[in-house]
Amino acid sequence: MAAPRAASRRRRRPLDQLLLGLAFVAPALLLNLVFDWYPMFDGIYRSFYRWDGYNTAVWVGLGNFERLLNDSVFRTALWNMAFFLVAAIVLMLPTIVASVVLFRIRHQRTQFVYRVLFCIPMVVPWLVIMLMWQFMYNPQYGLFNRLIEALGMPDLQQTWLGDSELVKWCLVFMGFPFVTTNAALIYLGGLKSVSESVWEAAALDGVGPVQKLLYLELPLIAGQFKLNLIGTITAAMTGYGTQLILTKGGPGFASMVPGLYMYLSAFKSQKYGYAAAIGLTLFLMSLVITLLSMKFFKDAEET
Amino acid sequence: MAIIASRGRHRPFQWNDALKHGVTVLICLALLFPLFLMLIMSVKDKEQIVYEFFAIRPPFHFENYTVAFGYIAPLISNSMVLAVGSTLLTVSVTALAGYAFGRLEFPLKNLLFGILFAKMMLPGIMNLIPSFTLAWKLGILDTPLPVILFCAGTSQPFWVFVMRTFVAQQPRELFESMRIDGASEFQNFRYLAVPLLRPMIALMSINVFVFVWNDYIWPLVTIQSFEKRPLTVGLAYLTQANPGDYGMLTAGYVIAALPLLVLFFISMRQFIEGLTAGSIKL
Repeated sequence: MAAPRAASRRRRRPLDQLLLGLAFVAPALLLNLVFDWYPMFDGIYRSFYRWDGYNTAVWVGLGNFERLLNDSVFRTALWNMAFFLVAAIVLMLPTIVASVVLFRIRHQRTQFVYRVLFCIPMVVPWLVIMLMWQFMYNPQYGLFNRLIEALGMPDLQQTWLGDSELVKWCLVFMGFPFVTTNAALIYLGGLKSVSESVWEAAALDGVGPVQKLLYLELPLIAGQFKLNLIGTITAAMTGYGTQLILTKGGPGFASMVPGLYMYLSAFKSQKYGYAAAIGLTLFLMSLVITLLSMKFFKDAEET
Repeated sequence: MAIIASRGRHRPFQWNDALKHGVTVLICLALLFPLFLMLIMSVKDKEQIVYEFFAIRPPFHFENYTVAFGYIAPLISNSMVLAVGSTLLTVSVTALAGYAFGRLEFPLKNLLFGILFAKMMLPGIMNLIPSFTLAWKLGILDTPLPVILFCAGTSQPFWVFVMRTFVAQQPRELFESMRIDGASEFQNFRYLAVPLLRPMIALMSINVFVFVWNDYIWPLVTIQSFEKRPLTVGLAYLTQANPGDYGMLTAGYVIAALPLLVLFFISMRQFIEGLTAGSIKL
């Protein structure tokens, strides 16, 4: 490093170069290997063991996975997951509509104000919004039963999250109005990626609103949509924070999802090996679905 | 633009415009409704919530806030330690690595980058339980360390990727000239790259901070002592422990939401522009 002149750069020995590079990247790489890669492999390894967290782990081969196949709770959880997955994908639509409408507001200052308002729910802790919905669903004190009462139809009052028929719909409805701030801003980024002159030309040529949507706006956000879709799929398949806080998978197993089942198996029933097996299964499932959807898009682009 | 603008000034009322603004305003109202409800409930006492749910009229019970603040203040300082610690560690290791991957040439560079990048593409679901046992084996449960270390380990690959791209876009001559003047790589990094990377570092800091501030499951399993719990875990516990006391609870939610809202309004432009701009190259 001390050698003068730019030419020294070419003469720097590979070992020195490697050491210099490592000095910069080692902290990041080490943290990543120890706290991200290692747990993943450890999880794969543990899924072949029966382990309660205290006694010595016992090798059971594929035993955990065999049990998983015959586990009726896991099967219920998978069906529920499919329900939430379909709902999440369908409900990506309002965000697209909102972003296009927001983008079409050409007055920049007004648009910025709307964008700020869109952002506020994102900076309020997610848990606070969740707890507010829990309050709204509360059968005794909550908004919905109060509203029904005020409308003079007390017979229609529900227990909402306590009703095994309604609970899944209630959890889906919590996203209302189904506009995800993050995704909306990402779509806006896509729409803003072409120069103003394109929009001016479209306006001068008298391109109608529907044509503008089909031929300009939707193609512009196709890339962003793919990214959001993969995020949505992964989140819907592996997420369980909402269920953990609001329902614990209940009533019964009406809102149980595989991620929550994994969590409960480990931290409530001390079945760490079984939980690791659920984790691995879920990991592979979401990986496969993600890859399939990426391939689907690639094929669609080529034809 | 000029043509559209001048035409816009003279044109009569248009249904088209009304529709656009109408839809957007409705969405904003619906998005903000839970927060509005939260503010109203936070000044009611138990009787008012039961008997006059929809009314907004005095007496306003601002003492809800005093009571809630007693519960929330220690939680906020716990969360602050976790979020600031995670942000500092994550940002510093990321900036170093991003600089090296974007600017330096060294053997194995692509392999090392590949290791980081590959994990970013994989779902993280199965990490929870083995991460917990790792933290346990390391003897760091019930301290801020699991949150800080695992945040730095798992959240930086994406940002290393962003920083690398950003560094690689800067003109090579800039770095060469510093080197000719006899600057070492570390000086180059410290005095040239860090100032250049400042907007990226700001954006990343906000994101990592907000992520840790909002995280629920990981601190829930790694921090067991009640007095060490962060805001999210504490709020959920408080809600369970005080069923029906929604005046105090919603006041607590308002207090819990404030720090991030303040941070947001300070850094608003950077935050929004960053989110909008970050995705352009897809």
